Amino acid sequence: MATNLELTRPVVIADLAPRPSRLATIGAFIRTKPLGAAGALIILAMLAAAVFAGVLAPYDPYHGDYAAQFARPSAEHWFGTDEFGRDVLTRILYGAQIALFVGFTASLAGCTIGGLLGVVSAYTGGKVDLLLERLMDVLLAFPQLILALAVASILGPAVQNVVIAVAIPIIPRAARVVRATALSVKEHVYVEAVSALGATHRRVVLQHILPNVAAPYIIMVTAQLGSAILAEAALSYLGLGAAEPTPSWGLMLSGSAAAYAEKAPWIALFPGIAISLAVFGFNLFGDSLRDALDPKLRGR
Amino acid sequence: MTPTILRRPLLSIVSAALVLASVLATHPGVASAADTPRRGGVLLAVIGADPPSLDAHQESTFANVELVAPLYSTLLQLDPYHYPKIIGDLATEWKIASDGLTYTFKLHQGVKFHDGSPLTSADVKASYDKIIFPPHGVLSIRKNAYTAVTAVEAPDPATVIFKLKFPSASLLSNLASPWNVIYPKKYLDQDPNYFKTHAIGSGPFKFKNYTRGSTFEGERNPDYFVKDRPYLDGYKFFISPETSVRAAAIRSGRAYIEFRHLPAAEVDAIKKQLGDKVTVQETPMTGQWGIAVNNTVKPFTDVRVRKALSLGIDRYTMGKVLYPLTGLKNVGGLIRPDSEWGMPQAELAKLPGFWHDAEKSRAEAKKLLAEAGYPNGFKVTLKNRNVKLPYQDFAVFLIQEWRKIGIEAENRPLETAAWFNDGQNTGNFELIVAPTVEFMDDPDQFLGRYATGSTQNWGRFSDPQIDDLFSRQARSLDPVERKKLINQLEKVVLENAYFMPGLWWTRNLVHWTKVKNYLAPPNHYTNQKLQDVWLAED
Amino acid sequence: MRLYVTKRLLLIVPTLLGVAALVFFIMRVIPGDVTLLILGGDQAGRIDPAQIAAMKHQLGLDQPLLVQFASWLWGVLRFDFGTSLWTGQPVIQELLIRLPLSLELALLASLVSVVIAIPLGMLAAVRQDSWVDYVVRIVSIGGLAIPSFWVGILCILLLVIYFGWGPPLEFTPPWVDPWANFQQMVWPVVTVGYRYAAVTTRMTRSTVLEVLREDYIRTAFAKGLREGVVVVRHALKNAMLPVITLIGTEFAFLIGGLVVTETVFTLNGVGRFVVDAVAHRDYPVVQALVFLIAFSFVIVNLLVDLTYAWFDPRIRYR
Repeated sequence: MATNLELTRPVVIADLAPRPSRLATIGAFIRTKPLGAAGALIILAMLAAAVFAGVLAPYDPYHGDYAAQFARPSAEHWFGTDEFGRDVLTRILYGAQIALFVGFTASLAGCTIGGLLGVVSAYTGGKVDLLLERLMDVLLAFPQLILALAVASILGPAVQNVVIAVAIPIIPRAARVVRATALSVKEHVYVEAVSALGATHRRVVLQHILPNVAAPYIIMVTAQLGSAILAEAALSYLGLGAAEPTPSWGLMLSGSAAAYAEKAPWIALFPGIAISLAVFGFNLFGDSLRDALDPKLRGR
Repeated sequence: MTPTILRRPLLSIVSAALVLASVLATHPGVASAADTPRRGGVLLAVIGADPPSLDAHQESTFANVELVAPLYSTLLQLDPYHYPKIIGDLATEWKIASDGLTYTFKLHQGVKFHDGSPLTSADVKASYDKIIFPPHGVLSIRKNAYTAVTAVEAPDPATVIFKLKFPSASLLSNLASPWNVIYPKKYLDQDPNYFKTHAIGSGPFKFKNYTRGSTFEGERNPDYFVKDRPYLDGYKFFISPETSVRAAAIRSGRAYIEFRHLPAAEVDAIKKQLGDKVTVQETPMTGQWGIAVNNTVKPFTDVRVRKALSLGIDRYTMGKVLYPLTGLKNVGGLIRPDSEWGMPQAELAKLPGFWHDAEKSRAEAKKLLAEAGYPNGFKVTLKNRNVKLPYQDFAVFLIQEWRKIGIEAENRPLETAAWFNDGQNTGNFELIVAPTVEFMDDPDQFLGRYATGSTQNWGRFSDPQIDDLFSRQARSLDPVERKKLINQLEKVVLENAYFMPGLWWTRNLVHWTKVKNYLAPPNHYTNQKLQDVWLAED
Repeated sequence: MRLYVTKRLLLIVPTLLGVAALVFFIMRVIPGDVTLLILGGDQAGRIDPAQIAAMKHQLGLDQPLLVQFASWLWGVLRFDFGTSLWTGQPVIQELLIRLPLSLELALLASLVSVVIAIPLGMLAAVRQDSWVDYVVRIVSIGGLAIPSFWVGILCILLLVIYFGWGPPLEFTPPWVDPWANFQQMVWPVVTVGYRYAAVTTRMTRSTVLEVLREDYIRTAFAKGLREGVVVVRHALKNAMLPVITLIGTEFAFLIGGLVVTETVFTLNGVGRFVVDAVAHRDYPVVQALVFLIAFSFVIVNLLVDLTYAWFDPRIRYR
């Protein structure tokens, strides 16, 4: 009697076609979703800039050449120099480090904590679910920037504090989405079946709920990445983020943007472009990823 | 000491007019002697902040005095056209007793407050009592400038007498403070904090309207005691915290004048676009930005470390680099370099931190650090105020300089309250950016903070030599001797690097040329009454 | 339905209490003593500890936290939000001065964005993966990606540099002087509205896409109905519900946009008021504003949920 079935392979709902090779998947992705591929390219470029900034950057981001304040873009300084004679290109490259650091850390931290809370909430149910839901509701009632503002004011201007300030508003949003997905998985018939067959809670969560939550989780991380980068820029602009002389893109835009815009427009132009490009890339990629992963939206 | 030309109102107007005419004829950017003042028009101005309250006795921000100064009179004032000469406002003449312990002032007759009631010596006494002997629960920011005063008396409605317990060389300057506005006694009696939210004075303009965060308006006082003044029908301030928005307002003509300062980059752009339609008045400012060192904390207990830090700053280059970005320009000691008390540049250049040879200074700094046990330098936190101009730019330069001698400084901007608390109240810092801005080059005001136990002594150091020099100069009525004592005091502070001055501020005041008769004083606190200002066209 | 409404109404009470508590205690944790800021001023003289104690007592700051919290809550219920620590004026008065500008900005931005976003989002969904779709997606993501404060100030600068024109500096309500009002508001509305529109466009696009996959839509096509009819009569109605939800939730996003935009354009609105109040440690103002913002957000969400439940019977029986 072969009733002691063990479902070892997690079943992703609605995926019954044979799985193609990795390379073929990527190729298909590029062909069908060129925008997403463009986004991915931008992200890779940013990552390269951040990781290899030390090698790629022609100057020290903190060193100011006093003889060359406000220098125009030229062969020596591709993006010109700022008000202290610091090379703008170098600061943009190092700025990528900060942007990506804040973006990844805040987004991952927020989504992971939120996701865990969501899974726990959905799976445990009952009073725990109710309490967590109320807690998330309270946090959700605050607009993201206002909450980040308050947290940043408590902690003071520094990059690590910006990460915390940006991550906190993400937690309830992630929790909500993951909870919804986890709930729908939990109620799906096959999970009931597996439980009836004697699978432990741990097995159910790890092998069945988590994989199905993975897709919305990944989508959320990429989606929140872009907004995390923007939030850091906004906080730095308001004076609550990174402090001088840190080469943060947002900081480069505060005050200098307008004050020197006529004399040296490149000071404000390049950080603004950098931020826009970064967020743009992550959003494009995230969008196409969602289109690809979400079974409801795949193809016609 | 007794200005006879101001004995009678008519005479004073005539002589003031003559003085005015001669100044107008010679000063650039002000109307030529041929222009006659035009009556009418509302002066539109921009300002960068709201004051916490309207009571000048309790505030020290430009946001207060710029808005309310036109509404009030003071006992004495700085001559708007001959800084730092002191002339009377409400006072027509004064006498100082030979022992320097009694000052007698005679007041104008027929001065009325905006509510119609007459201004008498009782009001002057009540206002000064509030400043010098504030009642419980009322703040008086500048109280400590008057420790010499024992009493203020009003023997008759036209006389005010100040009694002192020791001679004070700075008393007259302090009495000319633009903050010492005269309030009507009857409202002070009701509530000493009445004027935090109300404005009733005897000035050339009456209070019209205040919308927080937005606008402040005053209208002409037809019963002003100086005849035919003011020329303007009113004034209106737009409150706008972003520097670039204020600059844009001037450029587009939405506002005619910004009384505090605009950075050189903005000024250049405005001048380029508007040419002769704007006038830029560049004035040195009675304010400097420096670094307070916590003398009670290692490694700053060691004079060699402190000196090394000061040597590590190339102040002359700093002036060149920071001037286009901020207003910080002039190298000086603890008193403004171009004032009557400032140390001559040649003498200053002999003190550590002020040598012209930057390489030599840095070599010496590294040597001192090695001697003190820090051959590889050390890490330190520089606390700062979280305001862009000029605090952040100042810090960026300092950090860069100190890196060259091996000191890794981290810039830690704090909210104003926290910065002030750490600096002044708790001393919770290693290094902290500390500005000193006063309304005139008064040595008491600038040097008091270096004495033992002064609450403004952020560095918490104590040197009996300094204390002795300070009290001697405060009582010294001979300006030559006083200057010697002042310079000596500076030397002691700078040679021991108890405190590190940075740079003195030079400001750019920008206004449309149609705003006539405004001569920018060396700070944004004085000459704000606007009584002689007129508009060539609306 | 009535049961659902009652249930939801009851649920917001603990949420609002939680919000109030969080706001209250956050402000108390921020370092920086407001009494020092009030007494200290810019770069000021000596401060007498007795004066600090007196001021603390005057402001009620020396009482235990829970007592302060309780008395604040009691005041809120009577619409008394206390007095600003910085200015001494009643908070409600300060708020009412600044509310019209922010409200106008929020409303106009929402209007502009909805009018633009919904048709665009629908178009992109119906023409998925075509160049129209790509253009719409790129433009809307662009709107999200570009920092609004950067765009805003550059807008003003370009106008000043090339036309010598600057916006009016004070707020005139539209019924007093519509032209002055327009001049001041047009750029902020465009800046905020663009971002709001971008978000709404994307959401509209994805919900319409989802709906278009549904069986009943395929049936409608199979029946031979024209695309226009199918989309408008069948798809749109169902797609609108999530969009309405989005408009509600993104209202919070809009508030964030207001904060930055008002700072950039130095508009005397609620957003800038919050930033200034946080900088001054002005607890009553920050508490009142953040609480009100959160409160309105909760109410908007409630209304949206109720609307959703009205249209979708399945929700009511959960």
